[in-house]
Amino acid sequence: MTARRVDPTGLPVGRGWTGRVLVGASALLAVYPSARLAAQDSQFGIRGLGTPGRFETVRVRSTGGGLGAFDPLSPLTEASLGDLQQLAATATGGASYRSADLAGVTTSLRAMRFPVMGLAGPVFGRLVISAGFTTYLDRTWDVTLRDSVVLRGAMRPYSDELASDGGITDLRLAAAVRVSARFALGAAVHVLSGSTRESATRVFDDTTYHAIKQSDETRYDGLGVSGSLLIDPLPELRLSLFARSDNRLRARLGDVVTALTDLPTTFGGGLRWAPSPSVRLAGTVTRRTWADAGPGAFNTVSWSAGLEVGAGFSPLRVGVRGGQLPFSTGPTAPTEVGFAAGTGRAFAHGRALVDVGLEHLRRTGAGLSERVWTFLFGFTVRP
Amino acid sequence: MKAARVAWLAAVLAGCVDQATAPGVCPAFCPSGRIDVVDTVLAASIARDSAYRGYVFPYQAVAMTVSAVPGVLDSRVVFVTAALPDRVSLNTSDTTTSPLVGSDSAKITLTVTRRDTSAHNLTLRLYGLPVRIDSNTTFGDVQGAFAGSPLRSVNLDSLLAKPNGVDVTTGDSAGIDTTSKRLKVTLKLDSVQAPYVLGDSGKLGIGVGVGADGPTSISFCTRDNGCGATIGWFMKVDSIKGTDTTLIHKPYPRGSIFDTFLFDPPPAPLDSTLVVGGAPSARSILRITLPRAIRDSSQIIRATLLLLPAVPARGAPVDSFVVEAHTVAADFGAKSPLILDATRTDTTMIRVGRTDTVRIEITNLMQFWVSDTTRPEVLMLRSQEEATRPTEIRFYPSAATLKRPALRITYARRFPFGVP
Repeated sequence: MTARRVDPTGLPVGRGWTGRVLVGASALLAVYPSARLAAQDSQFGIRGLGTPGRFETVRVRSTGGGLGAFDPLSPLTEASLGDLQQLAATATGGASYRSADLAGVTTSLRAMRFPVMGLAGPVFGRLVISAGFTTYLDRTWDVTLRDSVVLRGAMRPYSDELASDGGITDLRLAAAVRVSARFALGAAVHVLSGSTRESATRVFDDTTYHAIKQSDETRYDGLGVSGSLLIDPLPELRLSLFARSDNRLRARLGDVVTALTDLPTTFGGGLRWAPSPSVRLAGTVTRRTWADAGPGAFNTVSWSAGLEVGAGFSPLRVGVRGGQLPFSTGPTAPTEVGFAAGTGRAFAHGRALVDVGLEHLRRTGAGLSERVWTFLFGFTVRP
Repeated sequence: MKAARVAWLAAVLAGCVDQATAPGVCPAFCPSGRIDVVDTVLAASIARDSAYRGYVFPYQAVAMTVSAVPGVLDSRVVFVTAALPDRVSLNTSDTTTSPLVGSDSAKITLTVTRRDTSAHNLTLRLYGLPVRIDSNTTFGDVQGAFAGSPLRSVNLDSLLAKPNGVDVTTGDSAGIDTTSKRLKVTLKLDSVQAPYVLGDSGKLGIGVGVGADGPTSISFCTRDNGCGATIGWFMKVDSIKGTDTTLIHKPYPRGSIFDTFLFDPPPAPLDSTLVVGGAPSARSILRITLPRAIRDSSQIIRATLLLLPAVPARGAPVDSFVVEAHTVAADFGAKSPLILDATRTDTTMIRVGRTDTVRIEITNLMQFWVSDTTRPEVLMLRSQEEATRPTEIRFYPSAATLKRPALRITYARRFPFGVP
């Protein structure tokens, strides 16, 4: 019987040509940002900067986000990279089925997204670096309106369609080092980049008036820095503290700057308790100062708690989350609660990992109620 | 099992297709920007307008109009048929030919392109004319010929009411041609009405007048349109057997070598007004200056050219005609080449006798100019069927400050993209 190495996430590790091929494929995915590199969108993001993405892999989202501060491949924190013992690449996908109930009208919506892609590995001694893409803000929506306007002395009914397709991506370059057995720290630089294809269409019932069709592409950019640390006060207890500051989001049409919006500062912390090598219980709290973005934006606090059981090839994960969404025209921020569950499976002696999860969210505020079911799938390779 | 896999694959693929469209409830769940539509009248945007005449003459037109509007307009069609040969062979195998000695009868066929279906007792009258008529012939030159008795007169309504449109007594007929879908009227003339005149080489000059219980008008197709008047001769030929002559039952068809229409009163000379239509045809050119804010950064969704008639169009009620607004490839004044593209041509109907404001929707042209700012913003107004009828319309020019042409534009301002 041969001994198998086990990494801190509890899954086996291995090496081989198949793994290298898989890493290469994942690396390609990671450096080629998809047009659909967005998280799940929301009607709450229409009147604002968008819907904030989740810096979480499938493994973390299956625990409701509770393990987010401790997962090396989730881009929420950097210090957790210090636990990564070998090169790894990951990609996350999700298919969301959303029903929005607004003013007594329920609309079914659907989206396919790939919100997280990343590549990480140790380079010099204890130094581990990581590069990847994450959805920062999703700005995909399509709104139809029915109204009328008086033109040339008569009421002219029309139908409008205002749409935006795209989002803002967080390109992260992170580094972490495990200083000691009980202490690790990390930092990252974030380049925010993205674009949205926006269109406005109006079709009059009276076809004497030609249809209005306008479209343009808005490009966005911004910068951010982040830092985090991990402290193990006890062998089974780990504390994570993290912070991030983003400067501003600049929107441009061609060479013309159309908007400059301040971005939030993020503070958060997490606590993980691992009473045994096969059981991990964790929680995370995050505060983001989205109110800096201006009117209609609120500071948010998000919390999550999750459990992962099993350190072998098929762990089980459950979790809950709650918090607020940053944008609304109402007097208070919309709220969000949800639960998630998932599992995973290791293949090729642990070199390839497939994670699946199911997440349910409910968002309410300003007369709108959203229910979201998201099927998550993730793919990680470690040669 | 296979069906289950296909269903699973279909479900997966369906899940990959985004569905992001939802009804919006504004302003809470709508983007901050709105489509802003503006409607305005540009009174001073049209200038340097002129009218020109002489583009198409009546003898070049695709149709010719006969009108009878007492005290207002009197119009006649005239045409000359093609010559006959002096001699013909009696049989195809004959190498010798025999001289034509006279006509037995002839059938003249006219193709009607438009008629007044509301007129009662619409009557066509054929008159004999000298064969020397040409493009210089005036209404006065042939007035004498029309003053006499007609060669033939046929009530078109009565003829159409007969079984199969055939009058077995007179030999006249009328019916819809199965190929061209147009009404064809055939009138039979005897040897006196259609004599063979050797000195004229068998040419025949014919005039057509019209009458009805009220003012009326009818148009015929012309040789320039490939469907002018034709004549089918039935000739007598010297059989070279003493004094006998042989009637050739085979018709000798001939087309017309010239056709036109003459009318009274003649078209008034051009003045400061913007003239469109008439015969010879007149066109008016209008130069438009769009404000830069509209041309460069707006989307025009409706543009209407407003023209105030200086005088009502004259003619029979059925003489209403279509005015087209074209843009030009280059501004060379009267000789500006038109862009003859159906997608860049806008039209309106001109009603006879009306003095209401004429509105021409020129949205297509405006959008064309906005999409290609190198194009001259020039409009040329012309009749859709130029010189086919005497009717014309005259509009006030830009020099008439209070009644000048104007442009009513509805446009959408640039949507505020890029603003969260």
